[in-house]
Amino acid sequence: MKFYPYKRLNRPIALRVMSATLKLPDGTFDPLDTSAYSVPQRTVALGVAQHEDWISARIGLSATLPPGATDADAPWSGLRVLAVLTDGDTNLRTTVELRQDAPDSKEWSGQIEVLRDDHAGRASLAAYAVATVDGVEGRSITETDADWTVDVVSEEPLGGLRLDVKQAGFSKSAREWLRPYADVPWVIDTSGRLPLVMINTDVEGFSDLLGGNGGGIENKIHELLLSQMATDVWTAVFHSAVGDLEVEPDGSPVFPTDWRGEVLREMLPDVAPGLHVEEALRRVHRRRTDDTGWVELQTRIHYAAVRRAGASKAVANALRALQQMNREDSE
Amino acid sequence: MIERPHHVPERLGLLSGAAADPFLTEDLLRGVQGHGGVDLAKVVEPLPEDDARWAVEPLRDLVDDAMFQFKENRTDADGWLAPRLHATLRLTRREAADKRIWNHIALAVAPDYVAWRHLPTASEGKVPRINPVRFMGAPDRQCFSRLWWAAEMFRNGADYTPVVRACSNQDLIHNSLRVSLVDHRPTAQALVRILERGTATTGREINGLITAINTAGATVIYDAFAEDEPRDPWALRQWITDAESAPPVPRHVLPTGPDEEPVREDSVAKLTEYFADLFETAPVRGRTP
Amino acid sequence: MEAGEEFGPWLARQLKIAGMTQAELAEELGLTRAAVSAWITKRSVPRPTVMGEIARALGTDLGTIHTRTTDTQAGLPVTWYHRPGYRDGGRDGGNAAAFAFDADVQVLARETCQNSLDERLVENGRPVRVRYTIHELTGEPLEAFRAAILWDELQPHYLAVSETAADQKVGRVVDAGVRDMFEKGRLILLRVDDYNASGLTGDDYDDGKFAAVVRRQLESLKSGSSAGGSYGLGKATLWATSALGMVLINSTLSVPHEGRTERRVIGRLELPWRSVEGRECAGPAWLGRPDPETPGAEVVRSWWADTETVERLHLARDSDEPGTSFLIVGAHDVASLASDKADSVIDEDENGGSEDDGTRDITVMHRRLVEALGRDFWAAMTGGGSRLPLLETSVRTLRNGEVVIPEEKVDPGVTQPSRTRALRAFYEGTTVDRLTQAGQVALRNVPLRLPLTGGRRGTLGIHQGVLLVTEAEDRDGVPNQVHSLRGNRMTVRKAGVSGLPLGVNTFQAVLLVGQAAGDSAPFAVEAEEFLRAAEPPEHDRWGQTEELTLRWSHSAHYRISRLTTEVNAAVKELVVRPKSAGSQENAKLRKKLTVQRKTSAPKRASGPTLPELDGLTAEIGAAGEWRITAEVKLPRADELPAMSPVVLLDVRSGSRPKLDWAELVAVDGCEVEGGALRFAPHARRAVFKGFTDVTSHPVRSEFTRLVLELRAGAQGSEA
Repeated sequence: MKFYPYKRLNRPIALRVMSATLKLPDGTFDPLDTSAYSVPQRTVALGVAQHEDWISARIGLSATLPPGATDADAPWSGLRVLAVLTDGDTNLRTTVELRQDAPDSKEWSGQIEVLRDDHAGRASLAAYAVATVDGVEGRSITETDADWTVDVVSEEPLGGLRLDVKQAGFSKSAREWLRPYADVPWVIDTSGRLPLVMINTDVEGFSDLLGGNGGGIENKIHELLLSQMATDVWTAVFHSAVGDLEVEPDGSPVFPTDWRGEVLREMLPDVAPGLHVEEALRRVHRRRTDDTGWVELQTRIHYAAVRRAGASKAVANALRALQQMNREDSE
Repeated sequence: MIERPHHVPERLGLLSGAAADPFLTEDLLRGVQGHGGVDLAKVVEPLPEDDARWAVEPLRDLVDDAMFQFKENRTDADGWLAPRLHATLRLTRREAADKRIWNHIALAVAPDYVAWRHLPTASEGKVPRINPVRFMGAPDRQCFSRLWWAAEMFRNGADYTPVVRACSNQDLIHNSLRVSLVDHRPTAQALVRILERGTATTGREINGLITAINTAGATVIYDAFAEDEPRDPWALRQWITDAESAPPVPRHVLPTGPDEEPVREDSVAKLTEYFADLFETAPVRGRTP
Repeated sequence: MEAGEEFGPWLARQLKIAGMTQAELAEELGLTRAAVSAWITKRSVPRPTVMGEIARALGTDLGTIHTRTTDTQAGLPVTWYHRPGYRDGGRDGGNAAAFAFDADVQVLARETCQNSLDERLVENGRPVRVRYTIHELTGEPLEAFRAAILWDELQPHYLAVSETAADQKVGRVVDAGVRDMFEKGRLILLRVDDYNASGLTGDDYDDGKFAAVVRRQLESLKSGSSAGGSYGLGKATLWATSALGMVLINSTLSVPHEGRTERRVIGRLELPWRSVEGRECAGPAWLGRPDPETPGAEVVRSWWADTETVERLHLARDSDEPGTSFLIVGAHDVASLASDKADSVIDEDENGGSEDDGTRDITVMHRRLVEALGRDFWAAMTGGGSRLPLLETSVRTLRNGEVVIPEEKVDPGVTQPSRTRALRAFYEGTTVDRLTQAGQVALRNVPLRLPLTGGRRGTLGIHQGVLLVTEAEDRDGVPNQVHSLRGNRMTVRKAGVSGLPLGVNTFQAVLLVGQAAGDSAPFAVEAEEFLRAAEPPEHDRWGQTEELTLRWSHSAHYRISRLTTEVNAAVKELVVRPKSAGSQENAKLRKKLTVQRKTSAPKRASGPTLPELDGLTAEIGAAGEWRITAEVKLPRADELPAMSPVVLLDVRSGSRPKLDWAELVAVDGCEVEGGALRFAPHARRAVFKGFTDVTSHPVRSEFTRLVLELRAGAQGSEA
């Protein structure tokens, strides 16, 4: 539970993206369709196939302050609203001040510039209402409760973490490190900015099966295979996420802010049920670094991965399809 | 003793963690034996041919010079190398966020420098090893990326002077990068000022200062009263284009960075006072450790 | 002074009303019959001195005879005429349509406004104005009104209905209506006025709007080809809304009848068969002036009332602008029970009677009318550019002439913000091709291929419908809908767009087809006709109808399905981000490898639960330390683990510094042991206090945000 030593507003700011316009190298502007952002997903996707070379994107913003912010008798003065874009991958922070639409209005608007050179993937966008409270300047009296995500790469405005999937023939790949794995259908690389699943197109018929949309038993096997791959991936990313934790001076682990954090938040409730995620992380970290308990935890990690991958359903469906096929054969 | 690899690539490339892992041998980490470089070159993804920035030679010369000049005081090499590495590579932040390029530099171009700068250390009873994160770890730990980011975050526009100051205190660059406080340029410059003024100098003091700023930053938005200039994408792009014709970075004077707007002086001045006050009034200061 | 009727026809009617022949008048005036005949046939007018004598003979005053704006009161008095029972003894249960459905002011709003739109005077280009007045009468005003409608004449009829039809719905409704008036001492009048409409023109009995409303049961008489409703089903809702089955009417005509336009008044009552004082009544009754031309002068017809009479009947109109006022006597709103149960937040005081069943709550009626008008007529009420809206509506609520809720003009921009914005942008010509900014309205043309009539193969032409798409607002209701309208600007079809991908921004779309697509749209008239034929009597969809099959073909409705397909595709093109081929690769695997953004708080994890913090108050002490008091909620368990309270400080980013406790004190339900809390067995709550050690504070306390956590274990970190 949190406690602030000064007066604040109880309710959060509602931040909305209103438009997104790309600035191109020739100095022209390309206003993107509003489908480039998703209000329900709080995500802006700036990846556009035609314009990979854009210089910057101008994102139109509108923030609605909760009631009470502009009251004449409010216990603060000099109210301002800031939109802040931060990117943990590039240590970037861009701040712009939003303007009040009309005196006493609770609507504030403005635009923030996103430079292509400054971002590798996803940045977070938040808004703060700042004011002078009890003589202290720059106090945040309320802020957005959930950040928007600005994704400079993705073409689809979907929030949440999406792992990368690529296909290659391992034996002849330009990525020479893949060659030793030429006899397996897929490998997982968690060392990059995002975990990457490499699918081996050398395994004959495999990529057809993955891309296929056939019906019947083929479809069920396809599902089964996908869930098998997904189980592998989730297991790998979980291990990778807990394997490289930053530790506070008192020995407790710091929740990672990148994809590792998202994976942990997703999976920890199944790995250490009944605990808050922070507490769960401490427990898992202790098990991993201590001499005992890590092996015993594997069952739960596997369970969490299987659940994410939807393996139970895939197995059940495949079994039912097989039974059906056997019945038809015997008739 | 790790030496310069037999085969040093001519061009920088991208080396993924998965591909690099087999080369992070126990011998390398113990400082016994490096690799020849030939096999490693096979697993590197090339960068575009037509970009002068990816030439290895200027970079290799730079680390050789650093190892020669600072052999008596290796820590001091950071302040010298950081701005020169930055001005040689001329990366965008987007490029610098790709760990693969740093993996390549550390393992293929200059593993000897990594071993020279970060000697094997050991906890009691164990064999001394180089911390593997110095080769391929978090951006604030990896041997070269930490220098590049220090230079990027502490330079004041084209001026690298604050970078040299910041690098003179290992705790400053390490901690401020770790908690990403310095993503606000006026904050970075104010930290350097405080260091210059001698308000906080020891490692413990610097850590206390950064903790104080980070803690107060939970409710105080520094951007609100210490404004920064908006970023101009063209200055950096021009600087990168100029890499084609740029001579090697000067060894005795500081190089010049991209022609970006310097941080507003009033913002730095105000924050310096603010932070100094936070630090000096922090109750923890009186406590004996 | 009002322009009266011509003398001749007026005199002829007065004689008829008074039951006097031309010869009798001539004799009384001492003139020849030919002289009187000459006046009536408009060949001459009487000399001024004769006027006074005529007035005397007719039992009226000089003023009336000079202005001729009203009838003399000489003839038979205004009264109720009850249609006699059928000779064959058949008993109808009252007008079937009137009692077919429950009273619902929202249905009333829809049907009456539709009628007013149909009857709008189009030449002047101005909107038709419809005003709903809810007026509750009690005490003296109620008495006066009952006298005006000749209640004493009606009472035996209501008693008879209560008895003979007690087992029918109509009987129960009427009985409840009468009892409410007497037991609660109140009566609700719901008045619907329209202005700039044609009014009830035409003869009392022949075909015409008047007869359609007043005489016929269910009939359609449409003014224009784009008419959506009619004085058919629509008219029945007026009577259905009255618990007494009574509606009074005052109409100002756009086309003179009998040389007059103002204050044509009549009342109509819908009751089931009954026997009163030995006479059988078929059902309906009319309030009017007995018509001397009918057998026994029993049947009543409309009369031209004077201003005083319309005042007493609560039928006075604001101006001489043409249009009709319907006064629903004893209005109730049964449907409000179903819709208001959940969201009624009206104060008891405002209810006007606490033991109310809710169907006669005037403030609820008011709100439901405003809601329905905004919902159903937003398009007709929207104008833009040079185009005026077709319709303006307002609602007001009175009690005994005192304002309860002032007149509220229904603003479609409030109830239907995004659809109204879309239509306005279309009228103003401010639509865009692509949506690049929140709040824009995109326009797409969608083809409707009109078939040839008579079952012939081939296409008559391609009508270009107008599809408008804009961002949804919360107040619009269900998001991602397409509302389709034709010339009458009523929403005919509401349909969702299916197959939208995750994360699509919510939108509202409006499809304008037929004459709604604008005058320049090709084949607008033909499309209008085609769609009207495809519209069932409920006006809620377009599809196969008998008319469509007869005039076009069995397969004609496929043209409409194809339009729908085109519309959905166009909507998706506007609101869905196109996907490149690459992103479709491995789509299924990608989906399995996605960590969805949590839209709601994660559900509580199962498994053993631990004590949890449930309250925290804190203040900064004199020495700058944090002084906290915290409550802990304890799960039901035989044995609870020790928990360690940990104070941290939030930071901008990175790890949070931990503060040391100077003192930790158990207050209730727990003990403090070595920095940890041990909970009393079976306690459900525990309270503790703590003060931090100020020398562990990394910055002054007023610059900190305190975080209190409970960690499992006695050591403060199980980890």
